[in-house]
Amino acid sequence: MADFTDDIFFASIAELNAKIKAKDLSAVDLVRVFSQRLERIGPRYNALALPLTEAAIRRAHAVDQELKRERYRGPLQGIPFGAKDLLNYAGQPTTWGARPYAAQVFDYTATALSKLDKVGSVLIGKLAMVELAGGGGYSSAAASMFGPGLNPWDSGRWSGGSSSGSAAAVAAGLVPFAIGSETSGSILTPAAFCGVTGLRPTYGLVSRHGAMALSWTMDKLGPICRTAEDCGLVLEVIAGADSKDPGSAHKSFYFTPQYYRQPKDLRIGYAPVDFAERPQASARPAFEQALAIIREIGAQLIETRLPDFPYGALTGTIISTEGSAVFEPLITSGKVDELADAKQIAGLKAGLEIPAKDYLKAMRIRRLAQEKIRSLFIDVDVLAAPCRLGPAPKVTEPLDRGRSPEQASPKDQGLSALIPAGNLAGIPALSLPCGFADGLPVAIQIVGPAFSENVLLALGKEFQKRTDWHQKRPPVRNA
Amino acid sequence: MNPKITRRRLAAAALGSAASLGAVRAQAPSAPNSPQNLHTTATEENRKNSEALSKVELPMSVEPAFQFKA
Repeated sequence: MADFTDDIFFASIAELNAKIKAKDLSAVDLVRVFSQRLERIGPRYNALALPLTEAAIRRAHAVDQELKRERYRGPLQGIPFGAKDLLNYAGQPTTWGARPYAAQVFDYTATALSKLDKVGSVLIGKLAMVELAGGGGYSSAAASMFGPGLNPWDSGRWSGGSSSGSAAAVAAGLVPFAIGSETSGSILTPAAFCGVTGLRPTYGLVSRHGAMALSWTMDKLGPICRTAEDCGLVLEVIAGADSKDPGSAHKSFYFTPQYYRQPKDLRIGYAPVDFAERPQASARPAFEQALAIIREIGAQLIETRLPDFPYGALTGTIISTEGSAVFEPLITSGKVDELADAKQIAGLKAGLEIPAKDYLKAMRIRRLAQEKIRSLFIDVDVLAAPCRLGPAPKVTEPLDRGRSPEQASPKDQGLSALIPAGNLAGIPALSLPCGFADGLPVAIQIVGPAFSENVLLALGKEFQKRTDWHQKRPPVRNA
Repeated sequence: MNPKITRRRLAAAALGSAASLGAVRAQAPSAPNSPQNLHTTATEENRKNSEALSKVELPMSVEPAFQFKA
């Protein structure tokens, strides 16, 4: 077996693939060492939900046989990965991070995981998450049956939610990439807090068949990787039409950023206040530097702001109503009381009481918001803003999801409500590490119109060509 | 001594203990994180959301984003 150093554990998919093709590494080598590392270090960050080592090594042997016969299935062949524990993997527990579902086993595998399997990528473990993806609202990082997601950069800090384990595992070099999900911020936030690159695809681009539903009209699956390029490689595999997902956009994705408008030709909408005033003081230099790099790329920066809508109230009403409808059997059976977070329990129960008129009003306003946001992209190609306004909070700090600055009221200026607005509109976003504040990673998000993933990834690649924030490694003890 | 307890006395005693129990309950503030308080807070948040939504001018012709396509 080859000698494994941290350079392997923190390599990009493209780098690992080159080693597999050159026969420096076999799929079995990679799967074995990553599995061992995930099992050994994952629990340190409460990142591991379920190791799948034995099955993964068996699968890796089959992949090596294919490679021996020179049957190449693309850049993910032989690459290990992890998946948020809301994706079904036939015959194995899928807990949704919640005690009432601890013994839940499905007899079919999620489409996204099947697609990865078909190209020879090997699932080595299920990754921890906030219970039920936090749909009822939660007050503490400990809102998970796996315990609080701990940040590899500082285990006294939160890894973010709800894809906590997915981001922490990539950041700590436990998997080369992971699949997460986002309803409103659950890929972007943990990616930003853990210093990795996360892509929220356009609604409907990636099938959600076999994934836990929280909000039928807002749920998306997407990759969390080291680089923008890796996100493109993974998205190409998991995207595509699926008649089993009623929300499927019936579109494919080919990672061909070279054929799209180049970063230097982009018009990028931003609000100066988002970079210079809103962020925590310690994070401002990193965000201002990120803006300077975008300027350096040659893109035209245009001051802009989001259309005025009560984005927080919209996402709150829609996610609460749909989430409580999804989990009605859990709530009415009383098993909801087994959840870890008391605020989440109360939120789910209260969600059942939201009147139909409020949900319908929210969905009607959402249509107006979608139209206005679509119009915004006549004048700009991409929007840029800080992903979160500062680094990860302490794991003991209460999380106030109720009225954070990002959940803006109509009076707010700039793009501070970009996460809820982008999710309501179903448009794609890429989170890019852009520096450190208080020794912890911070990130910017770039957001484009529907199906503009190639444009975002091209800009992300260019940004990462000029920076090395995505290559920084947290102080993970190997012993 | 075997005091005779009348029905009237018994009723008065029962009412008295129920009243004093009620008084004790009323005096003890419920914990801010009690399920009841958290439910009240969540309901209040939903009400505030509803209020924020009702401030948006919504033409009658706007249909809900049900057939949602980005």
